[in-house]
Formats: sequence, C-alpha cells, structure tokens
Amino acid sequence: MTIDELKNRPKFYYNIDGVAELGMGFMMLGWGLIGWLQVRTPADTIWHRMSLIYLGAVLAIIHYGTKAIKEHITYPRTGYVEYRKRDTRWRPGIAAAVIGALIPIALVGARRSHWDLTKFVSLFGLLLTAAYARGVAGWAVRWKWAVVWLMAAGALAIPALPANLVTDAAIHSRFFAINKMVGTLYLLALFYGVLMLVSGGISLWLYIRHTEAPAGETA
Amino acid sequence: MNEQIRNLSELDRVIHEPGRLMIVALLSAVEKADFLYLLHETGMNKGTLSSHLARLEEAGYVEIAKTFRGKVPQTLLRLTPSGTEAFEKYRRQLKGAL
Repeated sequence: MTIDELKNRPKFYYNIDGVAELGMGFMMLGWGLIGWLQVRTPADTIWHRMSLIYLGAVLAIIHYGTKAIKEHITYPRTGYVEYRKRDTRWRPGIAAAVIGALIPIALVGARRSHWDLTKFVSLFGLLLTAAYARGVAGWAVRWKWAVVWLMAAGALAIPALPANLVTDAAIHSRFFAINKMVGTLYLLALFYGVLMLVSGGISLWLYIRHTEAPAGETA
Repeated sequence: MNEQIRNLSELDRVIHEPGRLMIVALLSAVEKADFLYLLHETGMNKGTLSSHLARLEEAGYVEIAKTFRGKVPQTLLRLTPSGTEAFEKYRRQLKGAL
C-alpha cells in the first residue's frame, strides 16, 4: 500500500457501514417519489403543496439517521474519525451555479434541434454511475461493481421506456418533450434510490456481521 | 556523498518506522481520530500501537487527549503542526531519494 492510498483510507472509511449510500438512496428515493407524484397527479393535490416540508423531513431523517448509526454502531466498533473542514467549500457552489446555468441553455438548444431530451437523463445517469464507480474503486468491495453495472443499465434503459409509462398527464401538452424528460429523471432517481438503499443496507448488514459488538452490547 | 544518498540518511527516523508511518499517514488526512480507529486500520495490537503513539507524542508529532464519548473513555489523536511538517518533509525527501 502506498502512502497516498493510506491517506485516502479515512475518506473511504465514511462508507464502511454503508451510511453514505443509505443517505444518498434515501435522498434520491424521497426526491424521485415527490417528483413522480407531482408529475402523475393533478396540480391541486397535496403533493404539489407539501414538497418543501416533505423534502425537509427527508433531509432531517438522513441527518439524524446517519448520526445515530455512526454514534451507536460504527464508532464503538471500528472507531471515530473527525474529518477536516475543507477550505474548498466554494468549489461545489461554483460548479452547481455553472451547471445550473448551462442546463437551460442546453435544453433550449436541444429542443430547437429536435433532439430526444431523454438522452440528457441517460447522460446524467451515466455521470452519476461514473462518480459512484470512482468510490467503488476506492472501497475495494468487489460486489459493488454489480451496482455500478445496474446503474449504467438503468441510465440507458429507463429513458427508453414508452412515453405513457413515464408521464401521461402532459401527453398532449406542447411541453411534452420536457415533461417526458422530467418524468424520466424522477423514474431514474427512484431506481437509483432503491439501488443505493439495497446496496447500503447490505453493507450495513455485512459490517455488523463482521465487526465485533462493543462489550456493553454482548449478552 | 551523493545528494540522493544524503537525502536518505537524513530521513526522519521517528516517521520512517513502518508502523509509525502508517499512523502518521492516516492522521494526516483527518482532523482527529480515536485509538480504536487506528487499531482497526493498522491491524496492530494495543501494546504496539500505544508504544508507537508514545514515541510520536515524545517527538511532538502527535497530540493525545483522553476524553469521554458519553460514558465510554476515548483516546483522541491529532497530528500536530510540527508532525504535519515533518511528514511532508519526509515525503519530499523520500521522493527525492527514489
């Protein structure tokens, strides 16, 4: 093992119990579900009015759930790590602003050129897959590559689903192309959410099985 | 004496020992970590890890704080600024020598 690999170990330790995936999965599932319900239900239903409260609740569950798992399971078994506050926090903000500005431009350009907008969803899915694969390479857990392949397959297959499966509320709308893309995006988020929850859940189960419970927990 | 060989002979012996190098490299990537984490990551036994930590503390490279997490005692470890500097210098020297 090189010194650089050693220096990277604390970073990968964060997901030793699967919490990073559980958090990500819960967030994607929550976001995908509320979006999907908004696409499929009339505008006067509760799903269109409660989205901020709903997403706030999802974020709170992720925050306190992660904390509880770390405090009660991970730290007593394999130790505590406090990560350094990064001095490059502005970078994700700038990246998000640039991407946020580029997306509408790309969408308008694509619509004018009569492109299939769901290709953007495939691209987005493949980018997420690549980011996840980078993490998997660091974790060195072989079965996680199956998750990578499933994510890539989902990114290619879900945008190819028939239109009426993705959205039927706006099928005759002039914004159909955009709505189909948004519906496909939510469906992909639901799929990735379930996948991350299953993967994180298996990691947590394996972690508990293969690490020793603290003295106070054993009978 | 060849410059590269001189570099090798000037390597910090406290950090150069493999067990301590592991500890310092792990601590260099975090704000702090506890004894249990280092035990788990390095695969050393408690006695060996303790003696390496005592050596690093003596050199002023690691700061050791005894505290409690709830009712459970916890030993928190942090690389000091001089420890970070020594580790960076060690890496540069080693790179230069290889």
